[in-house]
Amino acid sequence: METLCFYLFAALAVVCGFLVVANPFSRNPVASAMFLVLTIAALAGLFVLLHAFFLAAVQILVYAGAVMVLFLFVIMLLDLKEEERRSWRKFGLVGGGVAVALIALLMYAALRQSPLGAAGEPRVEGSTAALGELLFRQYLLPFELVGVLLLVGMVGVIWLSKRAVP
Amino acid sequence: MSTVDYLELLKLAAPETIVVAAAVAVLFVDLVIMRDEPMRHRLLIGGAVTGLGCLVALLWLAKVPVHAAVLGGVLVVDPLTQWVKGIVLVLTLCTAALSLHAKFTEHVGEYFTLVLLATCGMMFLVSSDDLLTIFVSLELTSLCLYILTAFSKRDRSSAEAGLKYFLFGGMAAAFTLYGLSLVYGLAGTTNLRAAAAALAGQGLTPLLAVALIMVVIGFGFKVAAVPFHLWAPDAYQGAPTPAAALIASGSKVASFFVLAKVLMLGFAGVEGSGAWRQFSAGWAPLLATLAVVSMLLGNLAALAQRRVKRLLAYSAIAHAGYLLLGLLALANSDGRPEALAALVYYLATYGLTTVGAFGVLGVLERVNGSDRLEDFIGLSRRAPGLALCLVVFLLSLAGIPPLAGFFGKFYVFTAVVGAEPARLGLLWLVALAIALSAVSLYYYLQVLKRAYVVAPVAGADRIVLTWEDRLAVGGLALAVVLLGVFPSLLLSPLGAAIQVAGY
Repeated sequence: METLCFYLFAALAVVCGFLVVANPFSRNPVASAMFLVLTIAALAGLFVLLHAFFLAAVQILVYAGAVMVLFLFVIMLLDLKEEERRSWRKFGLVGGGVAVALIALLMYAALRQSPLGAAGEPRVEGSTAALGELLFRQYLLPFELVGVLLLVGMVGVIWLSKRAVP
Repeated sequence: MSTVDYLELLKLAAPETIVVAAAVAVLFVDLVIMRDEPMRHRLLIGGAVTGLGCLVALLWLAKVPVHAAVLGGVLVVDPLTQWVKGIVLVLTLCTAALSLHAKFTEHVGEYFTLVLLATCGMMFLVSSDDLLTIFVSLELTSLCLYILTAFSKRDRSSAEAGLKYFLFGGMAAAFTLYGLSLVYGLAGTTNLRAAAAALAGQGLTPLLAVALIMVVIGFGFKVAAVPFHLWAPDAYQGAPTPAAALIASGSKVASFFVLAKVLMLGFAGVEGSGAWRQFSAGWAPLLATLAVVSMLLGNLAALAQRRVKRLLAYSAIAHAGYLLLGLLALANSDGRPEALAALVYYLATYGLTTVGAFGVLGVLERVNGSDRLEDFIGLSRRAPGLALCLVVFLLSLAGIPPLAGFFGKFYVFTAVVGAEPARLGLLWLVALAIALSAVSLYYYLQVLKRAYVVAPVAGADRIVLTWEDRLAVGGLALAVVLLGVFPSLLLSPLGAAIQVAGY
């Protein structure tokens, strides 16, 4: 059952991820954003299979909920009609295809030669307490650094959106 | 689970904390106190607070020697990392001094804040043995640098450069993260040394090879090695000159140091060999390939450049090639301390020289409004002191004795030849590097020829230098000469630090 679920969610994530960037049926950015929501939902499913329930919930709430809604707002406000009309460029298609094929080949060759280990015990059992322990003890420093990173993001956005004084 | 001594942690991370505090202080002072003051005052005060933050952090580094690894290698403080952090801080200090005449923005507070936070990211990058911290601080540095590249809002090329850098950098981050997560998946730990210990004896398994390739691709982007260099010329060209100086110096020092650490500690045991006709799989042949194409393309493409910033960008790509050679010397554990000292010495002198060259360029850009080769005509008469500094920087980049650049190359090449002593296997790489250094002399001299030999057009007036320019550019030129004449000023403390740190 678990294996079946894994393959289901993994396939969903890969297919939707592909449709985000290269949807052959629609060039509409809103459609891309919607497929991104689906990708995130599939990833949340994978988190559940890894017993990381809190991460799965956060993934849905923050990413699929808050972040993607903002994404959609921006896309709709920008009115990207130009983007929809732009056709495929041959060079981009060939280059992208070759790159994807090469990486797929590399991964396939590597995975075929590696024995798949037995499933390990989940390290952080879903409870938020264990996650908090990790974030405030072992990984306190990267956690604080992410705070600084968010400050940079905030400063950058304010700088970008402020109109230059003539 | 063990408890954490937060006070101890704060003490160990004090220099970084000081830098972050200075960043917030700059933002506060500019926004609240200096809001209605003239630009000149705002720049001076912003630069002063930035400089003060860097100086206090430097003093702390010098006065409070500590040697500890806490939280299982998440923060590693030893004499070597202290030295590299000091170098990064000095480079930031010089960048701040070059920014005091910035005409490209009115957002003074934001500008200096981002410079300081980028520095904080570089410092954490240097002093961590942990994959997670390395990735987060790499992203912190990169994000600040993307914004700084695009900081000139009135300039289209700046925005274009920022976007290009951002998109390439995003791809690179994806590769890095994928590689690092494979390492974590294989070893079950985020600590570099523990990962190497867990994977010891297995050799280069296919998945580890994929991880290695991904990591090298990711860091290859950061250090602008061919074929991942495409962002560099545009970013250097479009970015405001002080920002370009920071990208070319501080970020390069930190990225190369952490790449050395990841390969040396995390991928210990899968070095392989890049010796002539004796290639064996591992990271050494991978780096050897990147080094060869970087040196070739960087040096040859620089010959064709008409804009000096682009020329410096391609020269930076060539220098990334030489530095990758220096990493190769770390593959053999015998001469490792010497090789590491040579690498850090090269990084430090290269950083100082590049910041200096960008400083001269910044002054000329302010006067002439562009950075074409023709703008250098008659510089020796318009500003003799500045022209002399330019000679020092460019000849040091080319590697002419007795300047620091020569000894940097000399020590790195010696270490590389010594790394495979059996049949001098890496000699072919060093021979190529020396030949291409001779090529590089041509394009550096093209600039100097215009500054000294070509007759100036009538009517070009003298360039008036401000005291900040004199202090920053003159000081840097003096440092390049001093470190060249007395390399042991930096090398012997580095050697001692590496011994204490135990690499």
